[in-house]
Amino acid sequence: MATIALDAMGGDHGAAPAVRAAARISLAREAAVAVVGDQREIESVLRRTRYDAAFLSVVHTDQVVDMAESPRKALDAKPDASILVGARLVADGRADALVSAGNTGASILACARTFQRLPGVSRTALAAVYPTERRRGSNDDPFALMLDVGATLEADADTLVAFAHMGSAYAARISKNPRPRVALLSNGEEPFKGSPAIVEAHRRLADDPHLNFVGNVEGIDLPRGKADVVVTDGFTGNVVLKMLEGISETVVDIARYAYRSKLVWRIGLGLLRGGIVQLKQLTDWQQYGGAPILGFDHLFIKAHGRSNERALSNAIKVAHRAVKSDLCAEMSARLGEIADEASRDPEPDGDA
Amino acid sequence: MSDRPHIFRWDLDKTYLATEFDSLRDLVRTALQRPADKANVPGSAELLRALRGDSGGRAQVFFISGSPRQMRGVLSEKLALDGIHYDGFILKDNLGNLLRGRFRAIKEQIGYKLPALLDARSHAPLDAEETLFGDDAERDAFVYSLYADLLAERVQPAVLERVLDVAGVYPDQREAIYGALDRLEPCDPVRRVIIHLDRKSPPIRFEAYGRRVVPVYNYFQAALVLYEDGRLLPETIGRLGTALHAEHAFTLPMLLRSFQDVLRRGGISYEAARRLGAQALRAGIEREVVDLFAREAADRTVMPARERPQAVPDYPSLLERELQRHRIEKARRKKRRRWL
Repeated sequence: MATIALDAMGGDHGAAPAVRAAARISLAREAAVAVVGDQREIESVLRRTRYDAAFLSVVHTDQVVDMAESPRKALDAKPDASILVGARLVADGRADALVSAGNTGASILACARTFQRLPGVSRTALAAVYPTERRRGSNDDPFALMLDVGATLEADADTLVAFAHMGSAYAARISKNPRPRVALLSNGEEPFKGSPAIVEAHRRLADDPHLNFVGNVEGIDLPRGKADVVVTDGFTGNVVLKMLEGISETVVDIARYAYRSKLVWRIGLGLLRGGIVQLKQLTDWQQYGGAPILGFDHLFIKAHGRSNERALSNAIKVAHRAVKSDLCAEMSARLGEIADEASRDPEPDGDA
Repeated sequence: MSDRPHIFRWDLDKTYLATEFDSLRDLVRTALQRPADKANVPGSAELLRALRGDSGGRAQVFFISGSPRQMRGVLSEKLALDGIHYDGFILKDNLGNLLRGRFRAIKEQIGYKLPALLDARSHAPLDAEETLFGDDAERDAFVYSLYADLLAERVQPAVLERVLDVAGVYPDQREAIYGALDRLEPCDPVRRVIIHLDRKSPPIRFEAYGRRVVPVYNYFQAALVLYEDGRLLPETIGRLGTALHAEHAFTLPMLLRSFQDVLRRGGISYEAARRLGAQALRAGIEREVVDLFAREAADRTVMPARERPQAVPDYPSLLERELQRHRIEKARRKKRRRWL
């Protein structure tokens, strides 16, 4: 049975949502949760909560990295910060994956200091799902995966290729989509469009027999779901993801304004209520669970800082699913093969 | 181990047996089940056998259950199958209640269990101590604590009267309670109340009863509490853990987490846990396993539990709160069933 280490102290709302999420997961008796944080705070929530003791443990630490702290300085000054203790639990084999709603930079740095990188991976990727028109996989999943959305601001061709493989493995295992369509985000569909890194990555991915590479996609193709895995650098990915979130929030705001403005609009929105509720559910970040950090030998799921109990329990479920499907081993094997192939078959113009 | 005789009183459904009676369908299925088909709460039979075995012949086991008297044959056969030897078995006269139109008495526990416990005590050796086992599905923690405080004369007659009013206890049941209290000499024999958290009720629900009541999520935790109480030998803890692993799919990490939880909540002290570790090593338990338990108890990981005082709770308001909570939970379960 998998054990998920949960950093209870990192989120905006303190330990309560994390402890309740862990308790909720413990009652399902499918995965265990090691809740890392201040035992006094954890206990004060736990004693008021239904949970199953055989599936929940507490690992005490009173050091926390705050959202506003500089990751490097904070981790140097706090060797027993909850995120580091959680990562060490995973690295030592006492837990199988890590979930945190805390400081993103500190979380990634804590993983980098504690976990090993997968073969051939020089940079890690933060992956996020976003809703699309199209459904995919045996789960009939409306979500596509985009990576990177913030971990690596600039990515070279090697990094983009590694991201493509990690994203494809993740989608295959988590969305139960055996052959996900992988694409590069660019400013045109043609292979020569985009930055030199994109063009080079396109050339290498097009010949890659391990991937179902469908070429480049443009911004307009994202909500249509033309690709199941969209690969980009962290800077672009972050801007795109925030824009998608902003649009969905704006649509809801406009609907709210319309509802208040005119009776006729209110009646119209009333008739569309079912559809609007579905749309809201689709764009509800709390049900995504969290964003996986890919590229390490262990999985880390980064939950939103504002995560409530439901969002965190979904993040734990995603981590559990990834552990059950042996995602990191699959990614490691695949990237290992690619690294081997690259070492056997050097670039034709490499030594020229 | 104490030289005094010790009585273990067990509730049956959801404490010893993993019974489902949340719906009419569950009730019918339970009533028709053959003895061999009845499932135990994991570890309950092993623990009960060990309690008797480790007592050096000084233990008595009594069952007190809300099941109807018509179930006696089936339940006796089930206990025989489990190798449980008991000294007494009290069942509820539900048919009698039904025929007399006393429908409240069919569900109500205080008017049934309290006089039954007091009457049973009047037949017990004067110096006998008691450990009581119940669950969180009914009001076992309340009844057992009230029983303990009544025996020790810590509850004023007016308070008892108010409790019986709130519970809607029938006049003949009241007479039985007062009659038994008149017969009994004041004594303070109840050492421990173990509550099996079948419904996983939050532990805070039992804090008002003081440190005597320990809610447990499984019988490994109960065994650890009873080890500290001097009712079980250290090797029994190892045997129970092994049985839970072999027969009830409890993994070592599940046992470790259960140990850590009961330690955190103060069910077992650090000192007793350390003593148990040393004794387990001498008893031949692998060092690797003992070290894993020691790691769970390490000071850096777990801080000592808060000391809980043993005061007499405000029984009438506690009962009112329990009844209110019961109504809310019932409504919630009904709503859940409709959606399913």
